[in-house]
Amino acid sequence: MTNDTDRTTRFNQLAEAYSTDLYRYAMWICGNDALAKDLVQETFLRAWRALDKLKDTGAAKSWMITILRREYARTFERKVPKFTDLEKVVVRDDDELEPDERVERELLRKGILKLSEKYREPLLLQVVFGHSCEEISKQLGISKSAVMTQLFRAREKLKVQLQKDGVTGNVHELI
Amino acid sequence: MSMNLSEFKKILGADPWNRDSETLRARNAEPEFERVAEDAESFERKLQSALNVHPPADLLGKIQGISKQPSETSNNWMTLALAASVLIAIGAAGVVWKQLDRLEQVETYLAEHYALDGKVTISQAAGAIPEQKIREIMTSLGVTAGPQLAERIRIIKYCPTPVGRGAHMVINTDEGMVTIIYMPDTQVQDGELIEFDQMQAYLVSLDRGSAAIIGSSSQPIENLEAMVRSSIKSGLLDA
Repeated sequence: MTNDTDRTTRFNQLAEAYSTDLYRYAMWICGNDALAKDLVQETFLRAWRALDKLKDTGAAKSWMITILRREYARTFERKVPKFTDLEKVVVRDDDELEPDERVERELLRKGILKLSEKYREPLLLQVVFGHSCEEISKQLGISKSAVMTQLFRAREKLKVQLQKDGVTGNVHELI
Repeated sequence: MSMNLSEFKKILGADPWNRDSETLRARNAEPEFERVAEDAESFERKLQSALNVHPPADLLGKIQGISKQPSETSNNWMTLALAASVLIAIGAAGVVWKQLDRLEQVETYLAEHYALDGKVTISQAAGAIPEQKIREIMTSLGVTAGPQLAERIRIIKYCPTPVGRGAHMVINTDEGMVTIIYMPDTQVQDGELIEFDQMQAYLVSLDRGSAAIIGSSSQPIENLEAMVRSSIKSGLLDA
């Protein structure tokens, strides 16, 4: 009974620690809120089933991201999700922003969804999960220099997109 | 030699909060560098804000509800037996028990096969293997080995698997030698991590059959998943 309780406590701690970030990550890789919710629940279901095999709690975050990415790959083979209406899920703190800042943020969101997976995934791992370039390299199975190039290009594309759409703000001119 | 502005922009473009001593020195040396760094940080704050989406209010509760389900590794056989009897009643028990049997079968096979042939084979690993030999074995099993995998292979040979013949490979990685068992006719639970004798095996379901990536507990074998998945493909050779 104690083992079951410990296991449940451990699982609930994982859920509290990672469910929000996993949802954000899922949301931005698939662009669909319903699928993101399914992906996160499926991720935790698989994590629950295999929890006894997770010996190193420090590896839990990467382990869960791996499960989610795999589940997404599997789901994506079956159905191509429709992009969601971002307004349904974005944080509503618009009151704090000036109108041009609001426009800029919307353009950024659209730009993020337009990025190819190659650029979007490392960017999400870095910004949402706070992964270092080394950690992203291990997670994606690519070299650190490739990660750095993709991160640089992802931001470059977003900045170019903003500039193309007429929003300059204090975005620094590239190159 | 000091960093130029272009290099500085590239570093901050990849890692806007970079605090390496060289980056900080460059930032403090010139006003132009400082301005670029401030812009990078400002952009990053906008990016963080843009990515900030709310999970549905009921998500955490639903996830925590999962822990009320029995786990695959639970030893509560009474519960499993009861669950199975219900499933039999609805005609689905066969499928469930097949999956459980399969998992146990694969676990037992991997532990026994590795005890018998794992470390010995690794100790024999030397240089790269001729492409022809890799092609011969993999093609006879109905798959191809992509270059990312092929160039790492140090040993490849046929081996028994839970269902028929497969391939036993030793590959060279940054973290040392790792064993890959390709099982063309064995289905596994994708992403399952199995532990035995201070070793771990990560199971990958492929478009034909499956593979087990086996390494020591300290080797991050799951990082090889993408490479294995993209390298072992069924069908005709591209070349």
